[in-house]
Amino acid sequence: MANSCVDFPAKGGFSFDLCKRNAMLSDKGLKLPPFRKTGTTIVGLVFQDGVILGADTRATEGPIVCDKNCEKIHYMAPNIYCCGAGTAADTEAVTDMVSSQLQLHRYHTGRESRVVTALTLLKKHLFNYQGYVSAALVLGGVDCTGPHLHTIYPHGSTDTLPFATMGSGSLAAMAVFESNYKEGLSRDEGIKLVSEAICSGIFNDLGSGSNVDVCVITKGHKEYLRNHMLPNPRTYVSERGYSFPKKTEVLMTKITPLKEKVEVIEGGDAMEE
Amino acid sequence: MEAPKTIEHQIGEVHDSLRFGLDAKRGNIIGSHPLESVLLSVERNQDDMKRITLANVYGAAFPVQMDMERQILSRFQRPPGLMPSSMLGMEALTGTLEDFGFEDYLNDPRESETFCPVDMHSGMEVRLGMSKGPACKSFM
Repeated sequence: MANSCVDFPAKGGFSFDLCKRNAMLSDKGLKLPPFRKTGTTIVGLVFQDGVILGADTRATEGPIVCDKNCEKIHYMAPNIYCCGAGTAADTEAVTDMVSSQLQLHRYHTGRESRVVTALTLLKKHLFNYQGYVSAALVLGGVDCTGPHLHTIYPHGSTDTLPFATMGSGSLAAMAVFESNYKEGLSRDEGIKLVSEAICSGIFNDLGSGSNVDVCVITKGHKEYLRNHMLPNPRTYVSERGYSFPKKTEVLMTKITPLKEKVEVIEGGDAMEE
Repeated sequence: MEAPKTIEHQIGEVHDSLRFGLDAKRGNIIGSHPLESVLLSVERNQDDMKRITLANVYGAAFPVQMDMERQILSRFQRPPGLMPSSMLGMEALTGTLEDFGFEDYLNDPRESETFCPVDMHSGMEVRLGMSKGPACKSFM
């Protein structure tokens, strides 16, 4: 088949412009900055009504704690959430992108997203990028086929498990799960076990710390328990208080909601069964 | 110690054209990063696979017809210049309209600081076959 000679507009995406320059510089003896060690504890388990996800809230930058209360449980779809370990920017970019894809897919089909759809989109993307997008994920959700829990490794391989852990604190957390997990846990037992596993990661792994986030997803309902436990409260606050320079003044705030301009008809003409 | 008679010339990964001249060597052919060639081939392989599947299911004429539609739709573009076409019809045909990837929001060439729009006249001449080659930016 003869290809047409029409030029397509250039596309964005990864840019490799500086790879040659960097290779040349490192050949000449420049020491490029090393990769920073990442650390996280993220877990998930299946209980009798659905899925519980859990995460710690420490973000590290090598030996430095750069955020003590970050969010590691990302929104994918109303019935699907995803915990991310690895490079923070990569996990956020990938989960945000796939959640946009799922939203477009929902507009197209007019149906609730399935967990396997999210899983396939994530693993396809991660496999295409051959591990250079370093996102290790725990994906959990409840759809019309029941509760599902998957782990996704940075190179695109996946597991389907009743309980899963990821990140540098995964060993500590898995020890708790392997000793205490049983089928048909109630909601409170499940949350307690997840919190215990995350706490085990917080106290035994240097890359994890601070608070416990939990997300409970059941059929048609989800509950995001941000800072469910605060096992490491701040102990010292200076009596004299802290003074900060005056912020830039906001002169005007005007928010134009997009919904009024764009009319989205949800489930207008759903696909035929 | 005697100084070497020749200056060592790096073959391949040379980026400095002013010092080492234009080179069309290994480095330019295989790409500068292993991921680059993978990303280029993935799309092509998926297209080929889809075409084979469609041929097996609907007969050999079906992918040929789709290729013709693809060619027709790929010609519907704005005149070359500031605003490149968003290729709406093409995206509707290939199904990328419902897709959303890195290329849609990261490193958009239109937002690049080195973005240099093609001159409309020379671009149109190239498109209509009145002059040859890509609309060269260096002569503008």
